[in-house]
Amino acid sequence: MLISVEDITRTYVVGGETVHALRGVSFTLDKGQWVAIVGQSGSGKSTMMNVLGCLDTPSGGRYMLNGQDVSRMSDDQLAGVRNREIGFIFQTFQLLPRETALANVELPLVYRGLRPKERRERARAALDKVGLTPRIHHRPNELSGGQRQRVAIARALVAEPSLLLADEPTGNLDSATGEEIIRLFEQLHHAGHTIILVTHEPKLAARCPRAIRLSDGRIVDDGRGEAVAFGSRREAVG
Amino acid sequence: MSARVDLVEGGRIALFSLRANRLRTVLTTVGIGIGVATLLAIVGIIQGLNTSFDAQLANIGANNLFVSKWPWVIKGDWWEFRNRKDFTLEDVELVRAQSTYATAVAPMSGRSSDVAHGPEQVSNVRINGTTREYLTIGGLDVVQGRFLTDADNETIAAVAVLGADVAGSLFPGIDPLGRSVRIDGRPFRVVGVLGREGKLLDNNLDLQVLVPFKTFRALFGKGRSLTIAVSITRLEDLALAEDQLVGILRRARGTPPDAPEDFSINKPDQLASTYEQLTGALYGVATGIGLITLLVGGIGIMNIMLVSVRERTREIGVRRALGARKRTIVLQFLMEASAVSAFGGALGTAVGLAGAKIVSEISPLAAAVQPLTVAGGVGFAGMVGLLFGIWPAARAANLDPVEALRYE
Repeated sequence: MLISVEDITRTYVVGGETVHALRGVSFTLDKGQWVAIVGQSGSGKSTMMNVLGCLDTPSGGRYMLNGQDVSRMSDDQLAGVRNREIGFIFQTFQLLPRETALANVELPLVYRGLRPKERRERARAALDKVGLTPRIHHRPNELSGGQRQRVAIARALVAEPSLLLADEPTGNLDSATGEEIIRLFEQLHHAGHTIILVTHEPKLAARCPRAIRLSDGRIVDDGRGEAVAFGSRREAVG
Repeated sequence: MSARVDLVEGGRIALFSLRANRLRTVLTTVGIGIGVATLLAIVGIIQGLNTSFDAQLANIGANNLFVSKWPWVIKGDWWEFRNRKDFTLEDVELVRAQSTYATAVAPMSGRSSDVAHGPEQVSNVRINGTTREYLTIGGLDVVQGRFLTDADNETIAAVAVLGADVAGSLFPGIDPLGRSVRIDGRPFRVVGVLGREGKLLDNNLDLQVLVPFKTFRALFGKGRSLTIAVSITRLEDLALAEDQLVGILRRARGTPPDAPEDFSINKPDQLASTYEQLTGALYGVATGIGLITLLVGGIGIMNIMLVSVRERTREIGVRRALGARKRTIVLQFLMEASAVSAFGGALGTAVGLAGAKIVSEISPLAAAVQPLTVAGGVGFAGMVGLLFGIWPAARAANLDPVEALRYE
């Protein structure tokens, strides 16, 4: 079991009012699984993604990632976990605009402390895996949206994390390019990567073997992607 | 991740960012640069002053004592000194006879006067009446002719030894020996010319004329204050010699045992300490100005670093998401801030050195900057950057990664 989430809660205090973003979420995820987390805006899926990505710590409950209790870690330890265990793929790509594709992909390895030569080799290999070898010296503004997202995916893969965490990865792409990226995810899934994909698009969730639906900070459905995405439940409105 | 990686990556990002914002970097640098340049130029000028003052002081001779009713540096009531009893030639003889440390003793009296030869005239020349022994005490060189002799003094001869500038002005291209000059309207025969002596503080030692002491008295009156110039055997004996002199002169002047001396024993290191007080104050003011400029420069750096942090909020979020620790982010911004400052420091050092050089070229001040001062300038500027970078760097590191990633 790669991920075990037990009764996770997350509350914020905004302007003196307590907001319950997560009200006790539990699920497990095995290595090699691909799960979509779906829900409308305000359902808590962004908070869930931040907690799963160790960018945010839960207010209560336990989060075990790859055998480590990350819900009780210090800021520095979490930085290490993010570096080793998690590959982020963001809706807005989040590439450093002034660095080349190669340098962007190298970044996680920099923070892992690898030597420049090894970093460069591994970054090249990762860019090759996503089909961007001819573009490694381009800066993000010289790349198309799809190419940028491929750079981001290469960056997520390069450190060989145990979990790929994608947040609306096709949200800023046209449908044809989005389809290419989904195919890439399918390939990664077949290659054995564990993927959590956060999305509000039922069509995208339906492509995943498993989907979890959040509503008002709770899990309201958990099952086959297609079933959850287009499920009969009233909440399941795309 | 090791500290080495933090440093290397921090430095790389810092340089990268400085290159990417060249204009901003240069402008930010200017503030710090001006501070360092100001400090260095002033320090350079003061160090130069010190060097030339030391050289001048050596001119007076460290093992000389000058006994007079006037102190060199007057503190307190001028009248009190004015009313002190004048020294006499008898006192000079007494010192010569009784002091066991004195190697040479000479009376000295002086005043300013015009000196002329034909139509040529030099104003404000220091006329000093003294004797043969002053040659040793003053460490003088006679480059032409001879110095004053005892016979000159006893016979009240109207002879003069000219300082280098006086000789040069009155006798351009002419041999002055044996020729006549008029001092205060009276004729004197030139018997010798002194070598170049330089300056002592504001006094041009080459703008003087030496005449026999008794001649001086006859010409300008006996009422003039007399200084007993004493040369001591060894520098180590200076304090002993001084004590002995005090004893001899108190007895000669009949000073009661419990009364303070009514004369002053002047020595070069008195000037030195007065000089140090003066330049010390100058140092203080200059350092204050420099520090304020550096403070302003530092605030400029802080400002620009805060802008930089804001601009790169998302970048910070990305780096944090990919595994950068707070420490790494802090280091990145600290290195950026200190790099800008050190760069400014280097620039300021160059300007400051050039300034000191120019000053020493166009003015009589010999500015000199010691290498340590230069290293200090650059290092200090870097420290200023480091100090003023702390707050922006801490702000950057304490950004919430989630918020930072969402920042537009």
